[in-house]
Amino acid sequence: MTHIVAGYPTMKKCKDLAVLMAESAVDFIEIQIPFSDPVADGPTIMAANQVALDSGVKLADCFNLMRELNDTIDVPLLFMSYFNILHHYGVDRFCKEAAACGCYGLIVPDMPLDEEPNEGYLAACKKYGLNAIQVVSPLTKDERLKKIANVASGFVYCVSRFGTTGGNTKLNDDLAKYLSRVKNYINLPLAVGFGISSKKDVEMVHKNAEIAVIGSKVISLINDSKNYERDVKDFLEFCAGGEGGIRTPAGTGVPLQV
Amino acid sequence: MPEMLMPIMENLTKEFFEAIHDVDFLASLKDLYENYSGRATPLYFCENLTRQLGGAQIYLKNEGLNHTGAHKINHCLGQALLAKRMGKKRLIAETGAGQHGLATATVAAKFGMKCTVYMGAKDVARQRPNVFWMEQLGATVIPVEDGGKILRDAINAAMRDLISNPEDTHYLLGTVCGPHPYPVMNTFFQKIVGEEVRNQLGKLPDYLVACCGGGSNAMGLFYDFFDDASVKMIAVEAGGKGIKKIGDKFQHAARFQGGEVGVVEGFKSYFLQDKEGQIGETQSISAGLDYSGVGPQLAYLHDEGRVKFCYALDDEVIEAYKLLARSEGIFAAMESSHAVAEVIKMAPKLGKDKIIVMNCSGRGDKDLFIVSEKLKCKIC
Repeated sequence: MTHIVAGYPTMKKCKDLAVLMAESAVDFIEIQIPFSDPVADGPTIMAANQVALDSGVKLADCFNLMRELNDTIDVPLLFMSYFNILHHYGVDRFCKEAAACGCYGLIVPDMPLDEEPNEGYLAACKKYGLNAIQVVSPLTKDERLKKIANVASGFVYCVSRFGTTGGNTKLNDDLAKYLSRVKNYINLPLAVGFGISSKKDVEMVHKNAEIAVIGSKVISLINDSKNYERDVKDFLEFCAGGEGGIRTPAGTGVPLQV
Repeated sequence: MPEMLMPIMENLTKEFFEAIHDVDFLASLKDLYENYSGRATPLYFCENLTRQLGGAQIYLKNEGLNHTGAHKINHCLGQALLAKRMGKKRLIAETGAGQHGLATATVAAKFGMKCTVYMGAKDVARQRPNVFWMEQLGATVIPVEDGGKILRDAINAAMRDLISNPEDTHYLLGTVCGPHPYPVMNTFFQKIVGEEVRNQLGKLPDYLVACCGGGSNAMGLFYDFFDDASVKMIAVEAGGKGIKKIGDKFQHAARFQGGEVGVVEGFKSYFLQDKEGQIGETQSISAGLDYSGVGPQLAYLHDEGRVKFCYALDDEVIEAYKLLARSEGIFAAMESSHAVAEVIKMAPKLGKDKIIVMNCSGRGDKDLFIVSEKLKCKIC
């Protein structure tokens, strides 16, 4: 799974980037709706959020992007954002609109399931057929994994380590142990993200989970490369090549629709 | 709140409630309040100001006489004691005016812990004295260059640090905002202010007045009086340059003047935000009130009508600061001067039998550069 920030570097360019990602054998693309206070994101994605907001990106533009991409490419598309965006628009209204645009699911990292009785987020996702992607971390205790398993849908996003998006992640045996603990409770494909930035990382993830999430790395390429479209494509295709590539291994049963 | 923080907050909640039922913990806290910070702080009758304004009797709770110069030390001592009990080795904090950062750096030095303070780059520039003192205490001050470069951005940066270092670090959040248990915990450590006022006054006040950014000094003063229906409570927000919006920009930090309910930084409350739910940048002469959200307990008290909210403009605040200095010889912090400004408005309209207690949450020394600039005085 790869990630774009709606409106970064521009609306047109991020749309082209998503098309290019689809051509590079990516299984899912998350479209981040920019937010002023993205607390789970590290400096790279945070700065991209700010650039998008400063350029005047509105929620309506993000829905449009989702609709247009859904008409253009076959890869399932997710919205990722922070709960205040949904809350302010109206959770039910947001989910209805997202579903109408062809969205596969939502990743809202600051919406813990404990608040469901007050916010009705999971209920709205269910009502409109959206997968509410749950997030777990190495600190998530077994008790909580059980609760999360009860409401999980689509796949489960496993944060690879303590920290925010981007930066260096040392993937090691602890990751395998952590993911196998998650699998004890969760019978869905697992996506692993935060700091996945090389082919080696992708291969390591695929030994233990179904989906590798590449987020900040792509933004870094956009920032640092003179021809980022070529470099992003090369990077994704490089990761996809050979054993344990980026494409979800066949037969893992990732449900592509609800 | 990010799912990554849930286990950390669950653990902190458990530890906090265990600690406050432990008599040894409470005895240590009392000892620190009295012998380290110098509590109880005076409740001072402002005789001259009362006479000049010609109405209600004005009492000033002088939290500025705490060690480090503000009420912030109250929850810093409490949380540091808790962090020590939890075996943490490092304290991190956000700070606006620098008072909370200074108090955190102070308790970190006292408890032998490492300390990192996040401070918006704009606040670093306007609160230089506090930055210097934090560094002298051994803390690392990190200027935050994100967003509006103010308090909110510092909170986000501190949260990211906590998410990255959950095992050895305690995030000493400095107000009654943020995820549970912070609002409850900081209210618990601040309620000593109101408890002292009750004892010192020996009768019930008619009005309690406090400035309100996140709301820690307001909750501290108000908490002990919630069940006393006759006591009216007034929280004064930062009116900045005026509550009128210019384009899409706020010129103030008064959440109850155009703020809407939102969910940000792990709590649900009123926030100044735009039509899209993006959190707005705020403005105030006082870095400590320059914040887009307000504590969730205060949002509830507002909706219940128990606490009335008003605001003071930057210019009114400067005048209030001058009047208190000239009449009583007390420099109030820019934050606290918001409460003074409201008292100046309300006292003349009240009878001489009425009693107002205002919280002077901090002393004004730290505002040397802001005030001198505003008054166009060259100091060096």
